[in-house]
Amino acid sequence: MKHTPLEHGIDPHTGQSHFPRNGTRRQFLLNAGGGLGALAFAALLHDDGLIAREAERDLASMHNDAQRSPLSPRRSHFKPRAKRVIHLFMHGGPSHVDLFDPKTALVKYAGQPLPESFGAVMTRRNVANNPLMGPVRPFRPRGKSRLQISDFLPHIAECADHIAVLRSCHGDSVNHPQSVYQMNTGSILMGRPSVGSWISYGLGTENQNMPAFLVLPDPGGASKGGPPAWGSGYLPATYQGTLMRPGKDPIVNLQPTARFSKEEQRAALDLIGQLNKRHLRDRSFDTELAARLDTYELAYRMQVAAPELVDLRGESAATKRLYGIGEKETDEFGTRCLLARRMIERGVRFVQLYSGDTNGWDAHSNVDNNHSLYCRRTDKPVAGLLRDLESRGLLEETLVIWGGEFGRMPMSEQGVGRDHNPWGYSVWMAGGGVKGGTAYGATDDVGLRAVVDKVHVHDLHATILHILGLDHELLTYPHNGREERLTDVAGRVVTDILT
Amino acid sequence: MRTTANLLLVVIALSVVLRTSLYVHAAPPKRDEASAEETPLSRTDRDHWAFRPLARPAPPKFAASETIANDIDRFISSRLRNTELRPLPEADRVTLIRRVSFGLTGLPPTPDQIDRFVNDESLDAYERLIDRLLGSPNYGVRWGQHWLDLARFAESDGFEHDVLRPNAWRYRDWVIDALNADMPYDEFVRLQLAGDELRPGDHDALIATGFALCGPDMPDINDQKERRHMVLNDMASTVGSVFLGLNVGCAQCHDHKFDPISQADFYRLRTFFENAQIFRDHPIAEPDVVGRWQKAKSKWDAERKRLRDDRSKLEKSSPRFKELSARLAKHQQIEPKIPHARVLLEATSNAPPSYLWVRGNFKRQGAKVLPGYPRIANPWNDEVAPPPHGKNTSGLRTQLAHWITRPDHPLALRVVANRIWQHHFGKGLVSTPSLFGVMGEAPTHPDLLDWLATELPRQGWSLKQMHKLILTSAVYRRASHTAVAGWPNELRSEAEAALEKARSADPDNGLLARQRRRRLDGEEIRDALLLASARLNFRHGGPGFIPPLPEEIHKTVKAQHWRVDSDESEHRRRSLYLLVRRNLRYPFFDVFDRPDTNFSCARRTRTTIAPQSLALLNSELSMEAARHLAGRALIAQSEQQDSTRASQVTSLYRYTLGRRPRDNELQLAVEFIDRQIAILKASGRQRADLELPQPLPAGTDPHVGAAFTALSLSLVNLNEFVYVD
Repeated sequence: MKHTPLEHGIDPHTGQSHFPRNGTRRQFLLNAGGGLGALAFAALLHDDGLIAREAERDLASMHNDAQRSPLSPRRSHFKPRAKRVIHLFMHGGPSHVDLFDPKTALVKYAGQPLPESFGAVMTRRNVANNPLMGPVRPFRPRGKSRLQISDFLPHIAECADHIAVLRSCHGDSVNHPQSVYQMNTGSILMGRPSVGSWISYGLGTENQNMPAFLVLPDPGGASKGGPPAWGSGYLPATYQGTLMRPGKDPIVNLQPTARFSKEEQRAALDLIGQLNKRHLRDRSFDTELAARLDTYELAYRMQVAAPELVDLRGESAATKRLYGIGEKETDEFGTRCLLARRMIERGVRFVQLYSGDTNGWDAHSNVDNNHSLYCRRTDKPVAGLLRDLESRGLLEETLVIWGGEFGRMPMSEQGVGRDHNPWGYSVWMAGGGVKGGTAYGATDDVGLRAVVDKVHVHDLHATILHILGLDHELLTYPHNGREERLTDVAGRVVTDILT
Repeated sequence: MRTTANLLLVVIALSVVLRTSLYVHAAPPKRDEASAEETPLSRTDRDHWAFRPLARPAPPKFAASETIANDIDRFISSRLRNTELRPLPEADRVTLIRRVSFGLTGLPPTPDQIDRFVNDESLDAYERLIDRLLGSPNYGVRWGQHWLDLARFAESDGFEHDVLRPNAWRYRDWVIDALNADMPYDEFVRLQLAGDELRPGDHDALIATGFALCGPDMPDINDQKERRHMVLNDMASTVGSVFLGLNVGCAQCHDHKFDPISQADFYRLRTFFENAQIFRDHPIAEPDVVGRWQKAKSKWDAERKRLRDDRSKLEKSSPRFKELSARLAKHQQIEPKIPHARVLLEATSNAPPSYLWVRGNFKRQGAKVLPGYPRIANPWNDEVAPPPHGKNTSGLRTQLAHWITRPDHPLALRVVANRIWQHHFGKGLVSTPSLFGVMGEAPTHPDLLDWLATELPRQGWSLKQMHKLILTSAVYRRASHTAVAGWPNELRSEAEAALEKARSADPDNGLLARQRRRRLDGEEIRDALLLASARLNFRHGGPGFIPPLPEEIHKTVKAQHWRVDSDESEHRRRSLYLLVRRNLRYPFFDVFDRPDTNFSCARRTRTTIAPQSLALLNSELSMEAARHLAGRALIAQSEQQDSTRASQVTSLYRYTLGRRPRDNELQLAVEFIDRQIAILKASGRQRADLELPQPLPAGTDPHVGAAFTALSLSLVNLNEFVYVD
């Protein structure tokens, strides 16, 4: 017999989701064995990988179940604080010591070398012995919370009371692609599933006419590391990020060629449907064939839904102004921020926006020039997004994340630039369940390394999942005999920033 | 049910307890090896089905029966006969030739090939069909893809710069050629592990070792020690997965949680590769040619340096600067070149000491380890002889290669037998083909698996003989469903009754009462589109080709990362030859579940998602095929006197689905054409606004032509086109 008795013992009605199923399975074990002994047995089972194997089968059956799409909404592990995510990825590495992490010592000791007491520092471009450089622009306390934000970001500064800055983030690589991969997937190696994929896998999506995970790339050029940053790794391809762009053709292959009208296409779709149904009649047991019929109807609905999504004509002039649409420097990023809101509004689960072309915020030669440009492009749109979400009542159920793949060194490079710094940097969050106007953790006196209440990328990921009602230790996927997690074997939820 | 579950729990609990107390094999003592703490293997460990010694089971005996074509069927039937299931009869010939053509060559049969087979009344018609397909160079293309999936083959590094590996295709071609020449599997394996040592001076054998180096690489990482560590770990993990079906990679940080693979086992396996120079391309040519090239190259290098130095002293605006720049550009064009390949080569037999790395961290050197075979896969306790002194290579990999290809290797043989089976039945006898440890699935037919595993060496390790054996079995030829034209009614109702039983008794079809339906891979769909529209370029070998990308994607890619071939005929080559970039999977393949080449992939996931439908419906690839299909059908028919809609539709059906339309289908298609023509006429669209057939036969109404394009597009979108019954 192929199936273990265990598998049949599970209540099919609770089989809605693979991880609540895990929970249910545990529940079953408790019922079956009773008491502590059963708990021990459950642990043994887990150690022996039986549960893992079943989860694999569950997922397989989920995919074969024509009635339920792998993207159908699924319950979270516990009550979520937010339902959706907008991740604003400042590609290239924005300088925390110039934006969100004021350091008086850095002002004081500017021009001097890093004291020896800091020990050896690994850097990308051998800047360890360069003189320290003070913040390029002054910091000021903002809002009621008096949260310190630099003059680089006057608009975001006005939203300070919504923002929780994690000042003690750190990662594991001084290189761009490795760090881009890590911020997205937890690992510095390419090929692991991204946060957006994990969340799509965990929660499905509320809008069945759109993919669960949309990525809005910077039109200036590809990010370092490329598509694996939003890939689904070993998760099924369904969960990978779909690139979407403003304009007429937001998704690849969304529309037929110009010489093939919608009317012709509809007739072709009808013929395909008819012939496929005949084909299916003799193979009625094949749920995969049936599912493929449905994908044609979904594809057709996407053709309608996606252009509607990117059509901004219905947005008021006031809304557009809020995002800086129509202004030369903010038009592009503002448009994408507004698109992000429209996606969230329509139930898309995870939206990721990239700011910065291939080099982006990578201010090696001149922080002032580089950050002036990128802050001007993004400051107003980001603030506009927060305000717009708030005024529509969307902010409380949307988690907004702002950050790069790392921060920058307190030492200078080429006089007025800064090198990569993965050892300590800032990321902020706002919206669903986040305590606004707070700063959490700290770097050392000059902003070189995270030292107080450190937040590794794994911790950041655990926190993001937690806000969405997902337990990072339970959200697993069996791959090559191992129950893989976004947070590998680590991860701590930063509860102090939660409401 | 609860009682059974409880019983199972007790059994598991007991086995866990026993595992810690009943071990019988002590770990063999290792000379010099500072003992890494290691749990000895237990009898329970050794007793796992995959690790047990191989014996050749006798095929179960049967009275003569139509469902027994060869010994394979005896194993299959012996399980079926204990159930109520009745095997389905043989599939009809059109289905059969389509199945076996895709299965062996990744291509559909042409209408001519179908006719010839269907009308061939000789007794050995099917065997000759198999022989023809196994003899086709396209066999190596299809089975090469399976192997390249395992080898995580790509032609770029990945990571930030995704630098091209301009010589990677040589390994790809080696694989295809070896498969086409039916190189014995043991030799095929040995050359990939140690071709440099086994056949010094043989360039092909050297290229074969590129297997180890197909994985991702980060050449510009800050710490080159980390880079080397990652690449070596990838190598050891891949060797474990591909040849042994063991996820040894799981043990790079700590002992494997579930399988008896220790961290020391992992680093002992890695040690075989540590003496190789892995980060440079080696010249592939006779020594005297290499010598001459080196001389010419150093002269060329010196000249380039001189020109550059001269130029660096000048102002950029000066005329002399421009002159030197022009000379440099010219000089670049005459760079002396000979073929190179990234391969395993050693410079000395004195291998450096190797270590275990604590928690897999390249900064935390642990105990010293010596090369050794994974204990659980080494029931004979074979030892690795220490390398000789003063030679130019250690010979360690040669020992590994011979050990893996022992003709009695239980694990390695079971793994490969299962892989061959898997691709003919959509699923292996073991459904987790690179996971033969306790985390994997048990075989559905353990005796058949062992019989096939012992059969391979008996067949002289010939993969083609193994294919033929499997393909001539009755179980392979079985229908996957009952609606087959030409079946007598009583046969059909008998089959339906059998199927109904199969659905409840064996929902996964593990007992193989019927064949499995299979969705084509993205590569097969693309090749089928090209072949059906008579545009496939069969040219084999050489550097990969680069076709255009959808405009939206091309815009986001660095220009130098995707230089589209100027020769348009290149764009129509078989999918296998399409340049494999790690950071840019060809979108059509990406959407159809092509693996990402970062890890060895033994079995592709298969999703059914809307973007696949969008790609097949709207991509230029499909539309281009539709235009040419329509043109092909219209031209062929307009040359005949009795050209009618019906015969044109029939041609289209034959090109795309390999069969004639049934009456009702013909009627539907004709109605569709008429409706499309009405739509187009009503819209008043002109020639330039239509998707016209390529070519549009003279005198054909453009609206009629466009309607045929739409019909062609519809046919290639059918389930029947993308699935094999």
